[in-house]
Parts: sequence; structure tokens; C-alpha cells
Amino acid sequence: MKRDQKITRLAKKLVELSKDNGVVTEAKVGEVLAGLKQVQHRHHLTVLKTFLNYLRREIALQTAVVSTPGPLSGEALRAIEANYSKMYDRPITAVTKKDTSLIAGVHVRVGDDVYDASVAGRLQRLAENVS
Amino acid sequence: MKAIFITLLFALSLPLGLFSAEDLHANSHNSVSVGAEHVESGGVISELAGNFGISWPTLVAQMVNFCIVALVLYKFAVKPIAATLDERQQKIADGLQYAEEMKAQLAEAERERAEKIKQAAIDAQKILTESREQSKEMIEQKTQEAAAQAEAIIRKASEATELERQKMLSDVRQEVARLVVATSSKVLSRDLSDAEKQTFSDSAAKELASAGN
Repeated sequence: MKRDQKITRLAKKLVELSKDNGVVTEAKVGEVLAGLKQVQHRHHLTVLKTFLNYLRREIALQTAVVSTPGPLSGEALRAIEANYSKMYDRPITAVTKKDTSLIAGVHVRVGDDVYDASVAGRLQRLAENVS
Repeated sequence: MKAIFITLLFALSLPLGLFSAEDLHANSHNSVSVGAEHVESGGVISELAGNFGISWPTLVAQMVNFCIVALVLYKFAVKPIAATLDERQQKIADGLQYAEEMKAQLAEAERERAEKIKQAAIDAQKILTESREQSKEMIEQKTQEAAAQAEAIIRKASEATELERQKMLSDVRQEVARLVVATSSKVLSRDLSDAEKQTFSDSAAKELASAGN
């Protein structure tokens, strides 16, 4: 248990070290991994797995997954990035994802938060309100 | 007791008297000549005694003999018999007294038994009355409880029916909503053109982009 806590703390620090101006960058992550390789931690594999989990979580918090049934204009994507960066007070990068089940509209997920403005979502909410 | 004793003495003295009289009679012939001599020499008493054939030594000896026999009889026969008779008489008296006491006790026991029976009858009547009242109260209570239970069962059944109805309605609503959504989705997917979808998506993106402002 104590070992897990230490590894968790280490992984969180490594994630912080992987940020450049509050954003996780590939270069910083590479530096951190190189450092880890040099250090050769006793629980190397466990540290790497924990680091990967926290890194994925951090990237998910910094990424807005925009699901649409069709292509979205760049202007709209930038507007979404700007809005959520301002809302969460951290840089958010928008990533598009095609989802034809939405019929029309947009579905945005930032970390665990979901924002839905799709036809399918509205119909689903309508159905829930009716029942 | 004294009378018995005297009678016994008389009965015992009778053979002795007869024996002495016979003895006197046997000697009377001799005594006539002797008496003549006494009359001549003694007096009137001797003459009379001589006439009656009484011999003083024999009489005295018989009297002494009689007294001895009487004493012996009194000591060894009459006294134990009298004691036995007294004892028996005492026992009889005690028995009679005991019988009287028993009779009184029996009467008392009868009276107590009658009182107890009477009291038992009263108690039984009282218990019977109480039992009837209790049974009546119990019947009323059970009736009320049964009515309450029946009412509760009916109420629960009504509630269950209502819940079932609500659940059924909810299921129907859900099913209808699901069908509506599915139908609407299919219709919209088929009927909306790509341009319309694009327009709606841009509009939704702008809506989300301006949501936090």
C-alpha cells in the first residue's frame, strides 16, 4: 500500500514534468521517459503503467472530443476550443470524431464532462422526459 | 355390680346351705336326744337350736368357709369381671361419645360441603359469566381485527394495482418514446440532406461555443 502511494505520487510528479505551459507535450514526455530510463526505478514497469494512466487522464482533460455526423468547419472547432479553454481555464485542444448515430449536431466530451447538441441526444432527452 | 355380687354369693351359699341342711337332717335323730338334754340343762335358745338342727361349730365353720370363698371369689373372679365390665362400659361410653362427635363432625362436614358446593356453584357461575364476557369481547376484537386486516389487504391490493398500472403506463410511455425516437431518428436520418445536417451541426457547434459565455 505504501509502495503504491509512492508510485502514485511519482507518477503525478512525472505528469507535471511532462507539461509545457500547462499542456502535455510529446517532447516533454520523451524527456521524462528518458530520465526514467536513466534512473532505472526498482518498480519500473509499475511506475510506467501508472504514469501512462495519469498521462491519458491529463490528455483527456486537455482534449475536447467533438463528435459530429459530418465534417465541421474549422471556425466552429476553433470557437469550441476557445470557449472550453476559457471555461476550464486551461488550454483545450479539439479533436473531431465522426459519429453518424448523432444524425445532426455536435457532441463534445472534455474529460468526464459531456456537452450534447445533437439531434439524437435531443430526441433521447425528449424520450426521457416523456417517460 | 353389688347386686351381681350379692346374687353370686347367694348362688354360691345355696349349695352350702343345702349341704349343711342335709348334714343337719342326718344328725337330727341324734340331736333330738341331745336336745332333750339341752332343754333340760341350757335354755330356750339351745332348745330352739336343737329343734332346728343347728350345730354351732358347724355353722361357724361354714360361715368362715363361706367368707373365705367369698373373698377368693371377690378377689379373683368378681373384681376382674367388674374391672372388665367397667372397662367395657367405659369403652362403650367412649364409643358413643366418639360416635356423637363423629356425627357432629359429619354434620359439620356436610354443612361445609354444602357451603363449598354452593360457593363453587357461585364461582362457577361467575367464571362462566366472565368467560362469556371475555369470549364476547374477544369475538368483537377478532372481528374488528379481521375487518382491519381485510381493509388493509384491500388497500394493499389497491395500491399494488395502482403501482402496477403506473408501471404499465410508464412502460408504455417508455416504449412509445423509444418508438418515437427510433422512428424520428430514422425519418430524420433519411429525410435530412447533408447540407441541412451540416448547417445544423455548425449551428450546434456555435451554440456550444457560446454556452459558457
